[in-house]
Amino acid sequence: MSSMKPKSLQDPSTVSSGELKTPCDAADMPASAAADTSAAPSHWRSLAELDNDPEFREFVAREFKTPLEEMPLSSKGRRRFMQLMGASFALAGCRWKEDKLLPFSERPEGFVPGEPVFYATAMDIAGVATGLWAKSFDGRPIKIEGNPNSASSLGATNTYHQGSILGLYDPDRSQQVVRRAGQRTPSSWADFDRAAGELIAQARAAGGRGVAVLSEASSSPTLASLRSRFLQAMPQATWVAYEPSHSASAEQGIELAFGQRLRAVLAPERADVLVSLDADLLCPSTDGGLAYSRAIASRRDPSGSMSRIYAVESSITEIGSMADHRVALRASQIAAVVAYLDAELSAQARPPAALGAAQPRPDAKFLEDAGVKKVLDVIVKDLLAHRGSSLITVGSRQPAEVHAVVHRLNTLLGNVGKTIRYVEEADRISGGAADLAALVAEIEAGRVETLLILGGNPVYNAPVDVPFAAALGKVKNSIRLGLYEDETSRLCTWHVPQAHYLEAWGDARAFDGTVLIAQPTIAPLHGGRSAIELIAGLLGLPRTSGQDLVRATHDASDDKVWRRAVHDGTLGSAALAVEPVLRPIASMTLTEAALGSADGIDKLELVLELDPAVHDGRFANNGWLQEMSHPLTKISWGNALMIAPITAERLGLRDGFLATLTLEGRSVELPVAFTPGQAPGTLTVNLGYGRKVAGRVGGLVDEDVEVVGTDTYALFTAKAGAIAVGATVTPLNRRPDVLANTQDLYAIDDIGARGRDERLPQLLRETTLSDYQAHPEVIKHKVHHPPRLNLWHDPVSYDGHKWGMAIDLNKCTGCNACVIACAAENNTPVVGKHEVARGREMNWLRVERYFKGDREQADARQMPVLCMQCENAPCEQVCPVGATLHSSEGLNDMVYNRCIGTRYCSNNCPYKVRRFNYRNYNLDVYGTTPYTGTDDPRAKLRSMAFNPDVTVRGRGVMEKCTFCVQRIQNVKIKAKNARRPVEDGEIKTACEQACPTGAYVFGDLNDKKSRVAKAHGEPRAYELLQELNNRTRVQYLARISNPHPELATEDGHSERH
Amino acid sequence: MAIASDINPYQGALKGDNAFAQITDNVSRIMEAPKPPRAWYIAMGFSLMLLAMFGASLGFVVWEGIGAWGHIHPVAWGFPIVNFVFWVGIGHAGTLISAILFLLRQNWRTAINRFAEAMTIFAVICAAIFPGVHIGRPWLPYWMTPIPNQMGMWPQFRSPLEWDIFAVGTYATVSILFWYMGMIPDFATFRDRSKTTVRRLVYGLLAMGWRGSSRQWHRYERAYLLLAALATPLVLSVHSVVSFDFATSQLPGWHTTIFPPYFVAGAIFGGFAMVVVLAVPSRQFFGLKRIITMRHLELMSKIILATGMLVGYAYGMEMFIAWYSGAIYEQFAFVNRAFGNYGWAYWTMIFCNVLAPQVFWSKKMRTNVWVIFFVGVLVNVGMWFERFVIICTSLARDFLPANWGYFVPSVVDYATLAGSFGLFFTLFLLFCRYIPMVAMAEMKAFIPEGHAHDH
Repeated sequence: MSSMKPKSLQDPSTVSSGELKTPCDAADMPASAAADTSAAPSHWRSLAELDNDPEFREFVAREFKTPLEEMPLSSKGRRRFMQLMGASFALAGCRWKEDKLLPFSERPEGFVPGEPVFYATAMDIAGVATGLWAKSFDGRPIKIEGNPNSASSLGATNTYHQGSILGLYDPDRSQQVVRRAGQRTPSSWADFDRAAGELIAQARAAGGRGVAVLSEASSSPTLASLRSRFLQAMPQATWVAYEPSHSASAEQGIELAFGQRLRAVLAPERADVLVSLDADLLCPSTDGGLAYSRAIASRRDPSGSMSRIYAVESSITEIGSMADHRVALRASQIAAVVAYLDAELSAQARPPAALGAAQPRPDAKFLEDAGVKKVLDVIVKDLLAHRGSSLITVGSRQPAEVHAVVHRLNTLLGNVGKTIRYVEEADRISGGAADLAALVAEIEAGRVETLLILGGNPVYNAPVDVPFAAALGKVKNSIRLGLYEDETSRLCTWHVPQAHYLEAWGDARAFDGTVLIAQPTIAPLHGGRSAIELIAGLLGLPRTSGQDLVRATHDASDDKVWRRAVHDGTLGSAALAVEPVLRPIASMTLTEAALGSADGIDKLELVLELDPAVHDGRFANNGWLQEMSHPLTKISWGNALMIAPITAERLGLRDGFLATLTLEGRSVELPVAFTPGQAPGTLTVNLGYGRKVAGRVGGLVDEDVEVVGTDTYALFTAKAGAIAVGATVTPLNRRPDVLANTQDLYAIDDIGARGRDERLPQLLRETTLSDYQAHPEVIKHKVHHPPRLNLWHDPVSYDGHKWGMAIDLNKCTGCNACVIACAAENNTPVVGKHEVARGREMNWLRVERYFKGDREQADARQMPVLCMQCENAPCEQVCPVGATLHSSEGLNDMVYNRCIGTRYCSNNCPYKVRRFNYRNYNLDVYGTTPYTGTDDPRAKLRSMAFNPDVTVRGRGVMEKCTFCVQRIQNVKIKAKNARRPVEDGEIKTACEQACPTGAYVFGDLNDKKSRVAKAHGEPRAYELLQELNNRTRVQYLARISNPHPELATEDGHSERH
Repeated sequence: MAIASDINPYQGALKGDNAFAQITDNVSRIMEAPKPPRAWYIAMGFSLMLLAMFGASLGFVVWEGIGAWGHIHPVAWGFPIVNFVFWVGIGHAGTLISAILFLLRQNWRTAINRFAEAMTIFAVICAAIFPGVHIGRPWLPYWMTPIPNQMGMWPQFRSPLEWDIFAVGTYATVSILFWYMGMIPDFATFRDRSKTTVRRLVYGLLAMGWRGSSRQWHRYERAYLLLAALATPLVLSVHSVVSFDFATSQLPGWHTTIFPPYFVAGAIFGGFAMVVVLAVPSRQFFGLKRIITMRHLELMSKIILATGMLVGYAYGMEMFIAWYSGAIYEQFAFVNRAFGNYGWAYWTMIFCNVLAPQVFWSKKMRTNVWVIFFVGVLVNVGMWFERFVIICTSLARDFLPANWGYFVPSVVDYATLAGSFGLFFTLFLLFCRYIPMVAMAEMKAFIPEGHAHDH
């Protein structure tokens, strides 16, 4: 597929360098030319012709209408020509490959202009692959959806996937081959191929001595097979992978337990009892996270059989916010918890001798806490009661022995083969700090002459005790394949642009072992190559096109099979389960930290985590993701020090103020975010910020673009890993310049706090399963109000469709996938840090985060809020110009070009879901609006990410959620053409489609059989602020928890009755 | 007429056979003087500076987008609307003095009515600017008016903002008519006394051929009475309608039935305070002490005291009703208003509007120009804060706690607020210099001299 561009994108130089027009081009001539100039003509077209004056004769005689000496290439015009060409060379850095735009003389089969086409593809983030669909408009991908046929997605996506479309059109992406020999020189692929070819030829002659490859983690089978071929061709070369999030302990734990390299694939939908120990199955960086989200959510329906979730963790994870019981404990104490569970379970379950001895009962101080011990004992009891239908998961950052013991526990509970299965681990490329350290040692020893870096950004994200940047300087030839000319590229002798995953052929392996095939959806915008194409080229393979390489890997010689695989995006089936034999596990040596008391601020524990928005920093230049607020702190555009309020107060910290965080003599400054639910004595900090060479969004020191957030890799060491004990925090008595939080900080005045606590039970309704089953009306009775009467008859009868939505609070984890999906679908602009700080972010959909419980043991609650599409809409009544109106299907429509921006609608909206364009954000961010136009190639590239189905709003107008009216219309038109009714579930709003847990249900309320009508009929459905008589079309399904009877607190129904 | 003569403020102020001439001289002197007093220049210079700032900041807002203002997400109405309501409120005293007090035969009003009417018009001009520039697309406010057009666009008449257009528009029109009509005989006096051609021409045009015939006087007085009767309901309607912007909404803290009378009382309160603030220096610098007497100031102080207590009652009643309603959002809005993070604004308002006027219980205080002036300034500050408290604090913390925010004004907010005073004072100073500041003709009818030969 070729890249298709509107004509206006044509290279300006081709126009200005002079088009040769013929003299017949009458419009350009001072007078029309006549062939016969000798005699006075009987008919003439101009006086000059009639007079036959000498000037005219000369003009006719001339071959070109422009005098030759004024032509660009002639001596006189050369200066001008050079100026023009110089200017276009300078511009060339900001352009992409030019293709001739030719109209189709015959329309290709199946191509309807303006109608989107979905192409199956796959995205691999740090070795975690997901099958996706790219929605393409006339050859231009504009939106990512999950591939419902792939187990890795089931139609859902996460924030990273949704954001990747903006990354594709990022004007800061590297656009040319660059050579750095002392200084930066733009180069070309031809030069690179020549130079690299020579290097590889020399290396091959030496058997690969002095050659090393450093790649990011990847699940691609093609890249893995190319690695083997590379190492075959150059046996002495080394291939190392580095990923900051990599944890070898999960793999080692399985090896310890079963003596072989396996991969655990979970089936949490079968688990009645799920125990999550510092693990987050729902996290976007968990392999299989989307599948597990759907599976776990499927068991959170109170009308079905509900699972019970226990979470023991240091910081509130997504699963922790969904859990029925949550214990906040240090991450370093999980080992002792696991040992305790093993000791207790083994004592009561009496496993066969073959499983070996259990761990001794640890003498941990935190077990003296009656509350903690009680929950752990109930967990033991519950697990024993659900043998074969329970599941224990443990976080990947926990030590290998802990993993091994958890495998033992799942085995002795009989869960293997039921809720957990083991499959053969395929050949994947992965590696962590230890691997990078080994490579650095090689370099230091002078054994690496040529280093090829595939992706990643190790100069930025290497552990601070692994001096990679310094070592890189000692490598004679360093070649970097990267999407951006970033920190790493700046220290390499060659930088070559990488193709975005949407631009290249590729493959990947999902969590369950299925192969995903990715096809390009657009020709590489900047001539980039994928890693497999680069390696194949270096190896001199006969066929180096991405498609050939991928196809060869999967042995798909049959065209039909191959086309099917490309179409579906998947190939083959999940890996077969093996039945490994558990080996006895030696008793763990528990550290002092593991056995210590639960709180204690003398030895603070620091956990460094990937960021939910920018991952390890790779998405730092993505405006959508930067603007996404953290699920717990609600801070966007930066990271913060998450700390429990009680710990913070003992340390003298203040919410929203800066503090210095020190670990082993290295310190960083971070804003403090009081985070209830955080385990006392622990600190959680996200990685991925403080990029200095990210781009014009994420920070570019050279161009004075503000660095976003704090670089916390300064505290990330290979020695300590993700969990470090012994951090210190000292308060700084000042605030950060800007703290872009989208919700109040935790600490507010007493009046505010009291008001918040008083109303929350009415806004975010919840109760326990037993209470709900005994009194289903309990949810509706949380608020009592007089009968809701209307002064007027309803002006609209809603005879046709009646759109509505249900949001299940039992399923929302606050992951933000819907927020980014909404931004991508509806062209909502990015406003930047300073505007977010004024609450002017433009997201039509927000996830509200509240805390429940006391300051010491708090849980988080997540609640998505979008336009409620009120039938009795307060916004409609106050607009003086009638810019917001009611549709016959009950949508609350916005007429952007009628809006004059009084903002009265926003004031009268009790949900405050309307967003106002205080500035011309699209102009500020994209450099263009549909109304202004631009010649700036950066802006043009950026604006390609717009969804053509949705109006781009300009300055001064109000906007809000439309229930994705464009999607509704598209499906309605399709159904009408086919003379059939719209089916339930056929229309999916962007948020609904992205949601990993299926918390959103959209549909027609007039269709009594629709999912949404049924959801609204549930006793736990309620309208937000129903007492205002807005009659919302969005209803929430109350959160119903399923606590263990022994741990259940008082009955919810009795409170206000 | 008993009341009128009881409180006739000119008793003893203007004496002798030449009282009529004294009035004419006193008032015309200001226009006729080759140069206004030095204080006028100082004040004018200062006002023009503020006016320039106003123009520059509004220009910046139109150029840059209204993001230049400090609005945050929940607080979509900030300073511009606060200023709008404030200025509309100021205008009220003018109509009250000219129309209602006229109908009630409160003849002492004649010394200050011209003044107050001018103030009304200038305040309405200041007010009218804000709704126009506060909107997101400031080049389109005319879309709110019912102009027939080929696109069939029509305003949405259920919106209180639409009602505002008509309420304020009517008010401005009637006020200008009333003001101008009242000035016709005085313009004629100016014309007759003018010594330069230009002045004679300008004032002649403004006097519309007034010759002072008894037929003209008869028609004039009829028309004046009718206009007064027409303007009277406007005193109540304008601010009632402005209060509907808030009262008809759903927002706790806005959604209050007491708003119409409360706003009207507040407007009269603030308007009188502004009259006092303008009158005290004017009578000082333009030598009008014998026309605007201490008795006038004292009477106005009493009105300030009375309306201030009405306003105080409204504050208390809001609190009571919020508690009595049993609605948690309503209760929170008012508790938060007083004791939440905007408490400082609330207590500023209470101090200025409720406590400060209490000094007027003492005769000594309400006859001290410094005290009167100072209290007048405080009341204006307090009334501005009242609107700030109502608009901003209610919006800052509404229903869903996740939306809560804290509004901090930007530099442009302060510049437009200060700048609007620049516009107001510039217009007022021009008025003082070139337009009969006191209704000479009317006054002559009420001074003792006017009645001397009646019987």
